[in-house]
Amino acid sequence: MRNVFAVAGIVIKELYRRKDFYVLFILTIIICLVMGSITVFNDTDIIRYVKDLCLLLIWVSSLIIAITTTARQIPAEKEQRTLLPLLAKPLSRTQLIFGKFLGCWVVCGLALLCFYIFFGALAASREHHWPLLNYAQAAFLHWMALGVIVAMSLLGSLVFAAPSSNSTICFSIVAAILCIGRYLDLFAVRMQEPGRSLVYSIYYALPPLEIPFGLRDRIIHDWPPVDWPSVGLLALYLLAYMLFFLIAACLIFRRKAVN
Amino acid sequence: MSSGEVFGFLGPNGAGKTTTMNVLLGFVQPTSGAASLFGIDVRQPIARRRIGYLPELTYYYKFLTAEELLRFYAKIFGLPGPERERRIDETLKLVELESARKRLIKTYSKGMQQRIGLAQALINNPDLLILDEPTSGLDPLGRMKVRDIIQRLKNEGKTVFFSSHEMGEVETVCDRVAIIASGDLKAAGSVEQVMKGHASLEKAFLNVIGYQN
Amino acid sequence: MQPRFQAMEIARHESNIFFIRIFGDSSRIFANAAFTRADAYYHSGYYPTIFDNNEAFKTPHMAEDTGAVASHNEGEETAFMGQPRDWLDAFSRRFIPNRHTHLDQGGPADDLRSSSQVREILPWLDLATQMNPQDIRTYLVISFWLRTDLNQASEAEHVLRGGLRENPGNPQLLFELGRIYFEDYHDPARARSIYEAGVRSWALEKPKIPMVVRLKYDNSTFDDRFVFEQLEVHLAQLEGSLGNREAAIVHLEQAKLASPDSDALQKMIDQLKQGHP
Repeated sequence: MRNVFAVAGIVIKELYRRKDFYVLFILTIIICLVMGSITVFNDTDIIRYVKDLCLLLIWVSSLIIAITTTARQIPAEKEQRTLLPLLAKPLSRTQLIFGKFLGCWVVCGLALLCFYIFFGALAASREHHWPLLNYAQAAFLHWMALGVIVAMSLLGSLVFAAPSSNSTICFSIVAAILCIGRYLDLFAVRMQEPGRSLVYSIYYALPPLEIPFGLRDRIIHDWPPVDWPSVGLLALYLLAYMLFFLIAACLIFRRKAVN
Repeated sequence: MSSGEVFGFLGPNGAGKTTTMNVLLGFVQPTSGAASLFGIDVRQPIARRRIGYLPELTYYYKFLTAEELLRFYAKIFGLPGPERERRIDETLKLVELESARKRLIKTYSKGMQQRIGLAQALINNPDLLILDEPTSGLDPLGRMKVRDIIQRLKNEGKTVFFSSHEMGEVETVCDRVAIIASGDLKAAGSVEQVMKGHASLEKAFLNVIGYQN
Repeated sequence: MQPRFQAMEIARHESNIFFIRIFGDSSRIFANAAFTRADAYYHSGYYPTIFDNNEAFKTPHMAEDTGAVASHNEGEETAFMGQPRDWLDAFSRRFIPNRHTHLDQGGPADDLRSSSQVREILPWLDLATQMNPQDIRTYLVISFWLRTDLNQASEAEHVLRGGLRENPGNPQLLFELGRIYFEDYHDPARARSIYEAGVRSWALEKPKIPMVVRLKYDNSTFDDRFVFEQLEVHLAQLEGSLGNREAAIVHLEQAKLASPDSDALQKMIDQLKQGHP
C-alpha cells in the first residue's frame, strides 16, 4: 500500500501544479456569480436555476478533470520516459495502476470538495439554510461515480493509442449513459433479436452513472435526503464497477511491453 | 556477473544492449530463457529492491523538484523517514545538485537532468547499478564526474553494469566486458582478454563484430 | 451588475431579435424547452421525460392552474413513470424526485407557508419569452403567478405590456391585463375597457367569420372558444360586482355560446335574474 500511496501522492502534486483545475474552478465561479447576480422580475430570492446551472457546471468540470487527468497518466509516463525509471523500482504494475487510480480519484474528490463548498455558499446566500446532509450525499455519490469514470479512463489509456482518442471515447460513453442510460431497455423492447438482447445486455452492463447525476434534482428542489442504505448500496455497486475496470487494466498492463 | 565488479556491455547500435537491460528490469518478456537478479526472477518486483537504474534518456517528472523526486523514489524503496532524508542529502551532494534541490526539474539543463538521474539510481544505496550509456550527451567534465562516481562505487564494493560507446571510458573503468552484436554474445572476459592481439579495445571491438577495414 | 441589467431591459426588444437572428426558427424549440423546464421546476423535478407517458402533462400544470389556458391533459398525473420496469429502474427511482407536487402547494415539503417557491419557475419563463416572443401562454403564466402568489401586480403588468408590444391586440394578453386592473388595482372602468378591447381583438382575428358561426364547435378550436368565454365571463363578473345585472346577463349569454358547460353559466344567469349577485 505504501507504493500505491506514493504514486497517488505524485498524481495529486501534479494536479495542483497544473492549471486545469484552477481554470475550471474560476470559470465555474464566474459563470455562477454572473448568473446569480441577475434578478428576474426584481425578485432577489430566486435561486434554483442558479443551483441547477452550478451543479451542471460542477458535473461538466469534474468530468473534464477526471477524464483528462486520468487519460494522460500512463501515456504521459511513456511519452516522457518517466515510466522506465519508475518500473525499475520495486513497484509492481498492479501497484502502479492502483496508485494512479487512487491519485486521480483523490484529485477528483478534492476538486469536488472545492466545488461543492462554493455551491453550498452560493445556495445559502439566497436560501439561508444549509441542507448539509443532502449536499454530503450528492457529493459522495458524485465522487463514487467519478471513481468509475477514472477507472474506465485508466483502462482506456491502456487500450487506446492516444489520450485524445481515449478522452473522446470516455466522454461519449459517459454522456450517453447520463442522457439515455436509464431508458435503453425501452429501446430494446422495440427491437428485434439479436439487437434486443444486445441492447438489454448493454443496459444491464453499463455502470449506473445516471443515478448520482439524477440526484441533482433532489438537491435543486430541496427534496429530503435519500435513505442511507440505498446510498450505501449504490456506493458498493459503483465500487464493484471500479474494481472490474481496475482489474481489467492490471491484466492488460501486465502483458504490455513498456520500453 | 560477479559481485563488486564493473562490467562493461558493448555493442553496435541495434545490437540488443538496451533490450537486454529491459529484460533484466522486467520491462519486456524474453522470447526464451530466464533472467534473475540476486537469485530472484526478474519478473518479481522484489528483484529490483537492490538495484539502481539509469536509463539512456533521462526524463523525470517536470513538476517535481529534485528533492521531491528522490523522496518519491525513496518511499517506493521503503526507506524509513530519517534514513530517507539522509540518503537524499547524500545523493544530492554526490551529484552536486544541492544548490538546485528545490528547483523544479523542468528548469534543469541536460547535464543536471543526467545527474538527477544518477541520484535517483543511487537513492537506495543499491548493490547493483545498471547504467544505460551514462555519459551520453555530457561534456568532458560531466563524463569525468560520472567516471569518478563509478570508480567510487566500485571502491565501495558495488557492482556496476553499464553500456557505453566510449571505448576509452570502458578500458579505464571496467574489470570485465561483454560484446554483443545482433542479439548474440560475441565475446566476454576481462578487458585484457578481450583486447588480446589488438592495439586497443576499439580495434578489438571492431574485429569481434566483424567489421572489415 | 444589477444597474447594467436594468439598462439592458430597455433593449429587450433588440435582444429578442438577437436570439431569433442567431438561432432562427430553432429559437422556438429552445423556448419550448425552457417553458417545459419551468413546468418541471413547478413539479420540483418530478416530471416526465420524452420516454415517459406524458398524456397528463400535455398542458403544463403551471399554465393549467392559471385558468387562462385550456387544459388538454388526460390520464393520471402521478403515474407517468408507470410500474418499475426491473430492479434497476426500481432502485434508481429512490434517487430522483418521486412524488407529484406543485410549488404553489409547498413543493416536496408540502409547506404551504413557502408557497411562494413558485418564483423559481420565472427565470425559465423569462428566457422563453426572449426566445419566442410570440408564445402568448408564457406571458399568461408569468403574469398569473407574479400577480397571485408573489403579489407583484406591477411586474405582471409590465410583462403583459411587453407581450402586447410583441403581439399587439392579443385577446388573451388583454384578458390577463384586465384581470390585473380589476382584481389587483381595483379599477373596474379601466378593466372593462381592456376586456372589451380583448373581445374586439378576438373578433378581428377572423373578421370574415361571424361570431356566432365562429363559436360553433366545428368552426374553431377549443382554445379559441375558451378565450372568448373567459373574456365574457370576467366581464360578467365585473358588471355583477358593480351591480349592473343586465349587462352581466348579456355577457353570460355570450359566454354560453362558447362554453362546453353552459348549464353552469345558465345557473349564474338565473341567479342574477332572481336578484342574487
